[in-house]
Amino acid sequence: MKEIYWAEQAAYPVLLALQLLPLIGGLLLYALRQRTWAVALGRVFFLGELLLAADLYRRIDAASSVLQLAERVSWLLYHTGADGVTALFVMVTALIGLLLSLYEPARERMGHALLLVIVLLSQAALMTMLVTTNLLWFSAASALELTLVAVLLRIWASGDAGDLAYARFIQYQGFGWLLFVAGSVVLAWGHADATGGAWSFDLHDLILTPPLGKFQSAAFFLLFYGLAVRTPLFPLHGWLPNMTQYGTIAIAPTLLLGVKVGIYGMARFILPLTPEAVEVWQIYVVAFAGTGVFFTAALALLQTNLRRLLAFAVVSHTSLIVIGLFTLHPLGVQGALLLAVNFGFAVTVMLLMVAFVFKRTQTAELSELGGLFERIPFIAVAFLIGGFSIVGMPGTPGFDAAHLVLEASIERFGALPTVAVSLGNVAAAGFLLWAFQRAFLAPAPEGGTPRAIERVRPMEYLLGGLTLFVLLVAGFLPEPWLNLTEAATQAMVARFGSGG
Amino acid sequence: MMTLHGLPILSILLLLPLLGAAACFLLRDERQVRTVAIVSATLALASALTAVLLFDAEHGDFQLQEKHVWIPSLKLHYFVGVDGLSILFLPATTLLFLCAIVTTGRGVKPLPNLHFALILLFETATLGIFCALDTLLFFFFWELTLLPLYFLIGLWGLGAQGRAAATRYFLVMLVGGVPLLFAFITLAANAGWAFDLPTLLSHEPEHGLQLLVFVLFLVGFGVKVPVVPLHAWMPSLALGGPAAVTALMVGLKLGAYGLLRFAIPLAPTVAQELHWLLAGLGTVGILYGAVAALAQSNLRNVVAYASVSHVGMVLLGLASFTVAGVQGAVLLLLSFSISTGGLFLLLGILQCRIGSTDLSALGGVRQRMPRLAAAFLVFGLTGLGLPGTSGFPAEFLIIVSTLQTHSGAALAALFGMVVGAGAFLGPYRTAFFGPIRRPAVAEVEDLLPREYAVALAFLFLTLCFGLYPMPWLDLMRAAAESWVLHLPARVL
Repeated sequence: MKEIYWAEQAAYPVLLALQLLPLIGGLLLYALRQRTWAVALGRVFFLGELLLAADLYRRIDAASSVLQLAERVSWLLYHTGADGVTALFVMVTALIGLLLSLYEPARERMGHALLLVIVLLSQAALMTMLVTTNLLWFSAASALELTLVAVLLRIWASGDAGDLAYARFIQYQGFGWLLFVAGSVVLAWGHADATGGAWSFDLHDLILTPPLGKFQSAAFFLLFYGLAVRTPLFPLHGWLPNMTQYGTIAIAPTLLLGVKVGIYGMARFILPLTPEAVEVWQIYVVAFAGTGVFFTAALALLQTNLRRLLAFAVVSHTSLIVIGLFTLHPLGVQGALLLAVNFGFAVTVMLLMVAFVFKRTQTAELSELGGLFERIPFIAVAFLIGGFSIVGMPGTPGFDAAHLVLEASIERFGALPTVAVSLGNVAAAGFLLWAFQRAFLAPAPEGGTPRAIERVRPMEYLLGGLTLFVLLVAGFLPEPWLNLTEAATQAMVARFGSGG
Repeated sequence: MMTLHGLPILSILLLLPLLGAAACFLLRDERQVRTVAIVSATLALASALTAVLLFDAEHGDFQLQEKHVWIPSLKLHYFVGVDGLSILFLPATTLLFLCAIVTTGRGVKPLPNLHFALILLFETATLGIFCALDTLLFFFFWELTLLPLYFLIGLWGLGAQGRAAATRYFLVMLVGGVPLLFAFITLAANAGWAFDLPTLLSHEPEHGLQLLVFVLFLVGFGVKVPVVPLHAWMPSLALGGPAAVTALMVGLKLGAYGLLRFAIPLAPTVAQELHWLLAGLGTVGILYGAVAALAQSNLRNVVAYASVSHVGMVLLGLASFTVAGVQGAVLLLLSFSISTGGLFLLLGILQCRIGSTDLSALGGVRQRMPRLAAAFLVFGLTGLGLPGTSGFPAEFLIIVSTLQTHSGAALAALFGMVVGAGAFLGPYRTAFFGPIRRPAVAEVEDLLPREYAVALAFLFLTLCFGLYPMPWLDLMRAAAESWVLHLPARVL
């Protein structure tokens, strides 16, 4: 596996800067959190991070599939590298960070500046997970981010239901994290076995010594289920519904769901490192994911709470991504990664819009909502366009990505399973529309206290407008993103034959 | 006229309503919004007529083509063009949209700017469907119609019924879109990942693949038509949707156009082998629609079921696979835009003034609204194919050509037309004649000048098509001939 060092491509270590800027920003903001201008300072850091991400995009050579801008500090096991896929994920992470910095939560449980500290630190952790090639660094950053989200959850989620949400989160995520670490150890052990005692957790080393037979299957399952909990993938999604319903409305879910590092980790580590096991278990993974699409869509239809419903929507569409990934077809993997980015961004939009609604109504129960469209049409439309992108309507980035996944899936699995899966996607359209109709279009419930719904505020116009702009532009002009990810995804599945 | 050649007239046509939509969305005052909407719809009509003038009827292939790369990785091209079979749908569509906008009553609530913006967006999507020569672009426009329709029905429809109809329609169409997309992808894979129609037409797939594709198309387009077992969304929409939008949706038979443009030419052998299926679905539609219309108590539903019956006739015409049959089918589709579209626009006016189109709430309407009653009768008779109206040459061509190919089906269709006449005239008598029974009817106002103008324009067109159809038939002859020639030797 080749790589190009940063000194050949840039005047400064871009990837290091991407990780350090939010880290320094977070620490600085923590020190200055009492100042009146602290929040503005935080936003400056997010903006800076977005500019850095744009610079990464500018410097990455999308036509090359090798990891670029690599940095290495051997004694720290620090090793990074980026390709087109990394650049895309990094940009979306930076953009989501900026969006979150503009958003002000409905319930103030901690200072806004302190909240931004947590988001900044999480962003640093996410950046590390995206650029590192070392499994230990990935795990460590993952632990940091999960801890930060757990802190948020502890502060926000109160009462019995909140305690349950917190407990579930810790149990599931702790377990998933341990699985992932265990899988990493199996791989490193295999490497030590093959090379006579040299332990390594580095992608570049491990790819040369894939473990044999059962050990590879064990490593595959440990890593896969570790990431599946995080993603989350059916049936390991138990922590999500409670968290979205009782935790912070937008910030914590977005940190976990907006950037699909679980999917990214599968493409970056699992596919190249355990290729034979992937091929053996491919069909089971796809079958589970196919079930998941329908099962969770059915569960989503039963929900009465908008926040909880979104959680099931996430699980449902994540299954679709996994199907794309496990077509092991260049188009399918590319489509899956684009879907991951698109779903993450679309869900962020929807979570933010639900948060705006919650701020006005103090409830997300569908039976208590209604009649909102006339007062806040902009928020309603932004919510719906986010939903459309998840459903894969033409004109949104969801269509371009889903189209690739479907093409690959037809080629690999034939028409029938593919049709079934796309009908599952239609089911997702069903519950999203149903929710939209009840929350926004239906008349306000009678008997309740009449509410004065505040009109859309400038900051909300800015946030919603920004997200809509990104979604529609990416939908109508997808060429840059398709080009950016093409070579990199082909390299990821190179081991599985050309794929036609 | 020569100087206009080379003008991207179809792109201009597609762009005008879109710009109008953007302008409407940004305006706040309802009067201004309405003016902008009418102006952009009129300009669209003018450019559609220009396209007809630029069109050369001697040639049967696609004309006024424009092709640009849009998304190279997906092989998606912006590729538009028209032939003799699709060209006339452009003025019909733009005219219907203009009339729908003109007859929309004042005081649209809520958000009038959004209402007109969505109608214009729907216009662009519909025109795109008729112009697209790239299957993915077609699919794009096809699905794009759903977004404005969902809001138009959900927000300005009749209460909870409208919202339920909106969601149901959206989901049914989304489900219908799945087989279409699969058919397009499968065909493209077979032709070396080409999505443009001319290339696809030159690669005839092998038999098994054709069968798969044709069935997928039949389901996908059949939902939209609607073909009889897939029609369940239609009555609820006719009752719950706002009148102008219903007129647009029922008046423009996008599904039948899809069958004509894609399903049959892209799976020519299987389509001919399954001629009995097409003819059978058509006949079942004709009879079922007519009988179901007999049982309705609301004028909107009467017209909705009658249109199910009419579109069965179109299917029957296509199943004959003759030049005359295809010409008749296209002419009948155009005739619908006038007759069914006109009927729903008039029903919208009735609903707006009286508050209901249920037969029990009407009676004696003719005394107060003679103009509306007269126009209603003529449009209804057009649907029945009365000589002198545009329905006559169309249905005549279809019946004559199917009598040769599917005699039984043609006889059944004739019988269905008789039942259909009863299904229309019975409710018409109840609603418009007799004594006035309701106070709401007693004080109602007849057509306003602008509504009257729309009705007269439609009357003029139906008589024009009916009394002198030759220019229109000539316009589509070359294309119809090449459509039939493209089919392999007859297997009937």
